[in-house]
Amino acid sequence: MNEYKTTVGIEVHAELKTKSKIFSNSANNYGKMANTCTNVIDLGYPGVLPTVNEKAIELALRAALVLNCKINKKMHFDRKNYFYPDNPKNYQITQNRTPIGINGYVEIDVKGGKKKIRIHDIHIEEDTCKSIHNKNKSMLDFNRAGIPLVEIVTEADINSSEEAMKYLEKLRELLLYADVSDCKIEEGSMRCDCNVSVSKTEKLGTKIEIKNIGSITNVGIAIDYETERQIELLENKKDLKEETRRFDDKTNSTILMRIKETGNDYRYFPEPDIPFIELSDQYIEDVNNNLPMLAEERRKIYLKNGINEINVQKIIQNRTISDYLNKFINKNINLVIASNLLLGDIAAYLNKYEIKIENTKLTDNKFIDVVNYLDSQKINSKIFKTILDNIMEEDLSIDEILEKSGFKEINNEELIDIIKNVLKNNEQSVNDYHAGNTRAIKYIMGQIMKETKGNANPKDVNLLVERLLKK
Amino acid sequence: MDKLTKEQVMHVAYLARIHLEEEDIEKYRVQLKKLIDDIDKIKDIKNYDEEFLISPIEHNSTLREDAIGQMLDYKEVIKNAPNFNGNFVEVPVMINE
Repeated sequence: MNEYKTTVGIEVHAELKTKSKIFSNSANNYGKMANTCTNVIDLGYPGVLPTVNEKAIELALRAALVLNCKINKKMHFDRKNYFYPDNPKNYQITQNRTPIGINGYVEIDVKGGKKKIRIHDIHIEEDTCKSIHNKNKSMLDFNRAGIPLVEIVTEADINSSEEAMKYLEKLRELLLYADVSDCKIEEGSMRCDCNVSVSKTEKLGTKIEIKNIGSITNVGIAIDYETERQIELLENKKDLKEETRRFDDKTNSTILMRIKETGNDYRYFPEPDIPFIELSDQYIEDVNNNLPMLAEERRKIYLKNGINEINVQKIIQNRTISDYLNKFINKNINLVIASNLLLGDIAAYLNKYEIKIENTKLTDNKFIDVVNYLDSQKINSKIFKTILDNIMEEDLSIDEILEKSGFKEINNEELIDIIKNVLKNNEQSVNDYHAGNTRAIKYIMGQIMKETKGNANPKDVNLLVERLLKK
Repeated sequence: MDKLTKEQVMHVAYLARIHLEEEDIEKYRVQLKKLIDDIDKIKDIKNYDEEFLISPIEHNSTLREDAIGQMLDYKEVIKNAPNFNGNFVEVPVMINE
């Protein structure tokens, strides 16, 4: 018997990081008190006219470029007609015939190589209002109505929950690093709908849509659940209907929402209130040349500088850390030490005090000094930990902090004097050492470190002690 | 268009979320059919080689700078709604589960 093959296509909506909405100048500030960021355009009052936000076009173009799409240089908007309370005009302005980008792809890592997930299209549209459903009533917040979105539609190239999650992680990384969207799935600035079907033959099975899944992990769970559900129905000779289901994160299952209106029922037609938009070759080139450094390029630089793969991934997952580290790429400092500090003690400090790195007293010069001092072993990590709070909270240089905290560099002569003194005062241990008890040296080392208050480099001390003991 | 069926009229009514009484269906069927036939006449235009036109204006869109302007007070927003609850507009529940 043939195995069932799962086929998945994914639609992602990502909110664009603009100040104002796409067709009106009210604030793109979702999260404010309900219905305080709207105007007559967002609410679809009679006679109002949309005006297109140039930043929204630029960000959508960036997204289309990083998704390797062919750009529709002459594009327009279309009206998608449907009656639903989340949509005050009774149509949504979207792009149907001329999406900004078509025929792109995203590459994901799979067992044994790379796989291209083809992008059917990326189009620009306005968000609908946010609805919160109670038992008997739905509550509407129009702050979200008119926030610019891109919708990114894949071909049905995804064949497992794992591939779906990898695609979404990659897509999120691309949009985040291109500064297109915040991509916060849990806050709704990135939303995923999956079309799942199963089939034993080359012909695709009945497509079932799962809407608004709240995290990448849940996309995986939803696809696995839906695959099993569909196979079970087919095995029991039941027919599948095209329908929309909702993922329920309490039960990790999918629940029927509604039987879908089909494409024709939306009666798309060109939006006559917005004339054509033409993107010149020069404009497209400028946007492409001004893209921020993407994650892939950052990865290469970090690996080249000796940062290990696990840490590289951790840095990439935290855009703030990555941006901070990038300031020092050409400053000739040890980036391994720099990244260890940022991912370790400094990250812990920022988490503990819930503070952003730019709001601390850690200046670029202080960061460079501290990395260089650790690199040359002028200070060790123990000293660094001790003075970390001072570094983050005080307007003093690293030298000033070290001096103030009683850490001063001991020169070789001073160190030799201290060692000689300790050896003189611990004759028994010296004798033990000469009698072959090598552990005695540990006690001597401890005494020396105590005398130097930890200011000496243990490696130097060890070498000197061994040399002096052999005399 | 040859014939407009009763089912098609009811489908259009469903999309528009209008409830039709049985006796109205035939009345609307005749009216809708006339409308569609009139629109179909556009297809008869010969040698229609104008570029796809979406707007009566010939020049391209002028884009707006991304800046925030004046917004409505929420009291103004909910004034036109039949029901509200706090800052929210309230409507009958929309999702059937």
